[in-house]
Amino acid sequence: MAQIDIRNVEKFFGNLQVLKNLNLTIADGEFVVMLGQSGGGKTTALRAIAGLETVSSGKILINGNEVQDRKAADRDIAFVFQSFSLYPHMTVRENIAFPLRAIRMNAADRDKAVKEVADTLQISEHLDRKPSALSGGDMQRVAIGRALVRRPQALLMDEPLGVLDSKLREQMRAEIKRLHIARGSTSVYVTHDQIEAMSLADRIVILHDGVLQQVGPPDEVYLHPTNLFVAKFVGSPVMNVSDVRIDGATVKLNGAENGFRFPEASLAALASAKSDLTLGIRPEAVLLEHKKTKGFVEVETTNIEPLGSHDIVDVRLGETALRARTESGFVSGEGQLVWVNLDPAQAHFFDTATGLNLRGAN
Amino acid sequence: MADISLHGISKKFGPNTALRGLDLDIKDGEFFVLLGQTGAGKTTTLRVIAGLEIPDSGSVIINGQNATKWNAAERDVALVLQQYSLYPRMTVRGNLEFPLKSRTQNFTAAEITERVDRVAATLQITKLLDRKVERLSGGEMQRVSIGRAIVRQPHVFLMDEPLSALDANLRDVLRVELKKLHNELGATFVFVTHDQVEAMSMGDKIGVLNKGKLVQVGTPSEIYAKPINTFVARSVGTPPMNLVDGTLKGNTAIWDAGKFALPLSTPKGPNGGRVRFGIRPEDVFLDQNGPATGRVFDVENHGVIKILTLDIDGVHLHATVSAQTKVQIDETLKFNWKPEKVLYFNIENGRNLGLD
Repeated sequence: MAQIDIRNVEKFFGNLQVLKNLNLTIADGEFVVMLGQSGGGKTTALRAIAGLETVSSGKILINGNEVQDRKAADRDIAFVFQSFSLYPHMTVRENIAFPLRAIRMNAADRDKAVKEVADTLQISEHLDRKPSALSGGDMQRVAIGRALVRRPQALLMDEPLGVLDSKLREQMRAEIKRLHIARGSTSVYVTHDQIEAMSLADRIVILHDGVLQQVGPPDEVYLHPTNLFVAKFVGSPVMNVSDVRIDGATVKLNGAENGFRFPEASLAALASAKSDLTLGIRPEAVLLEHKKTKGFVEVETTNIEPLGSHDIVDVRLGETALRARTESGFVSGEGQLVWVNLDPAQAHFFDTATGLNLRGAN
Repeated sequence: MADISLHGISKKFGPNTALRGLDLDIKDGEFFVLLGQTGAGKTTTLRVIAGLEIPDSGSVIINGQNATKWNAAERDVALVLQQYSLYPRMTVRGNLEFPLKSRTQNFTAAEITERVDRVAATLQITKLLDRKVERLSGGEMQRVSIGRAIVRQPHVFLMDEPLSALDANLRDVLRVELKKLHNELGATFVFVTHDQVEAMSMGDKIGVLNKGKLVQVGTPSEIYAKPINTFVARSVGTPPMNLVDGTLKGNTAIWDAGKFALPLSTPKGPNGGRVRFGIRPEDVFLDQNGPATGRVFDVENHGVIKILTLDIDGVHLHATVSAQTKVQIDETLKFNWKPEKVLYFNIENGRNLGLD
C-alpha cells in the first residue's frame, strides 16, 4: 500500500525537456491513468516513479519517503510493460516465482504465493508450460502475475494491452480493473487510448508536451476539460471547435450569419474576456430538428455516417462543419435542410490564444 | 462508365484458397465497401479487379466486356494502398505530375499544371505542393497518394485500407473527405477495409466477405438490421450483436443462461425448439423489474455513453446505457430487451430465420 507524491519533477534528455514541473499526488489504493500522445511525457513520468529513469530535479516520495535517488529494486514497485518480457526458458511457475527467489522466500511460501496469484489471474492450468506455448493474453497475465506476486507497494503498467487484439483488450481491461478492486494496490497505468483511460481510471492524468494538462475523474475530464487539448483528446468523434463571436446573448460561429441565443447568465463570465474565443461543443450537444424550431438555425446536411446504433450527421454553418450525434436514421441523406441548435449547458468557451477553458457556460 | 462484375472467381496461392467462386456486382458510380477480416479475401478481390492477380477461374467483366485477361494498365483503374508508396525525394507536385508524364499519356505542360492544381485544391494540399514528400505528416502523405490516383481521372478507384495507418481523428476527417470526393468525381469506388465503422459510414453498399466468399451485399442499414446470418450480424456494430442461445416458447425466449424468460413480439422458428437470439447492445436496457439478472463484468466509459458487459452464468452480454448510469463492477442488475428488435437465428447453421 502506498501513496506516491511527485513534486516539482523535471526531466531533460540532453536539451529536450520531457517533464516540466510535474506535481501529482496519487492516493493509496488509487488507480491513476496517464493519458497522452506519444512524446507527451507519460511514459517518462511512469519510469521516473519506477526508478527506471532518474529525474533532473524534484522529488518522488513513496509513503512519505524520498526515493528519487534509490534504485528501482529498492522502491518496492512492480512494472508491467507492453512487451511481456518473460523468461522464455522458464515455465510460467518459475517466471512468476522469480521475484520471490530474488528475495529468498522459502519454497513453501513461494508455492503458496504463486498459486494464489495464478488462481486470481486464471492461469493455474498453464503453470508448467513455457511462455512460448501461451496466447498473448495469457502471456500478459503471467507478466502481471509476476509483478503482483511480491505484493509490491504499487503496480505500474506501461500500455500493457497495446499489442493485444481488441476483443482480448476488452477482456484484459476488465480483469485489470477487477484485480485492482480485489487487491487495492496503488496502480499507475499509461495509455494513449482515451477509452481505456475513461474505463479504468479513478482519476485521469493528461500530459502533453511534458506539461500536466488536467487531473480528474473520467466524467469530469469529459464534461469539464480545462483546455482545448484535453477537450479534443478525449471523446469520439472529436469535439466540434469553431471560432466564435458573442453578440449580446447571441453566439455566432465563424462566418455564420445567424447565431444561437444563450442564457445571458451563461455568457456573463465571458464578458470580461479580452481575447478571441473558440467554442467547443460535443456532437451529442449539437441538437437537430426536422422542422423550423424557435432558436434553431436552418442548415444543410453535408454528410451522414450511419453507424447502426446512432448516426453522425454533419451540417454546415458558415465556414464551420458541425458534427451532430443523432438517433439512427434521423436524417436520410446529404443535402437536406434541418434546424440546428447548441445545448448551452454543454458548450465550452476557450481562450483562442491560450486554449484555456473560460468556464463561461458551465 | 464503369460497371464491374465478378463471376465465379477462384484464386489459390499454393495450398491456400483465397477466393472460392466469388460473385460480385458493382454498379457505375457506386461507393462499394468490401468488409472482412484478415484472410477473408478482400485484398485479393481488389487485386483481381485491378488486374494485378489473374484468377484461376471465373471472369472479370468491366462495362460488359470480358476484362479477365486485360493487364492493369488497360483497365483504367487507380489503386490507393495503405502504404503511401510516394517518391520521397520528389516534391508533392512532382509526385502528382508523375502519372501524367508517363509516355503512354500525351498531356501538355499546361494541362498537367491545370490538373495538378485542381486536384491539390480538392484535397486541400495546395500549400504543400512545393514541399518534399518526406517532410509531410501521415495524413498529408495519404492525401497526396489519393491525389496521385485522382489526377489521371480514372473511372474506378480501388482503395486497400487507405486509412488504417492514420490516427483516429485523422481517419474521421478523411472518411468524410473521401465520401465528398466520391460525390464530386462520380467515379466507382471499391474500398477494402476490416473496420466496420468505415464500412458503415462510407459505403453505398457493403459486401461482407468470409473465407473467400461473399456472404451478403446490402446497404449499411440492411446489413445492420437484416443480417443474413450470425456472421454478418456480428461483423457490424460496436460492440457486436449479442447472441444468446435458448428455447422458443410461444411469445417468450427461455435463455439457457440463467433460465430467464424474456418477451418476444414476432417469434420465428420452431415453437419449443432451440433458437439463437440476436439483440444489439443498444436494444438491451436496465430495468428494475426486468426478467433477467446479470452481474456487471466491465464498464467501458465513452463519455457520451457507457457500454456494460453483463455476466450471466459465464455468458457475456453487452448493453449500451446512458453516460449518467452509475454502476459498479460486480454489481447485480436487472435488465430487459426490446422484443421488437430481437433477431432469430438457426442454432445449427446461423441463418436468420426472419428472412426465410
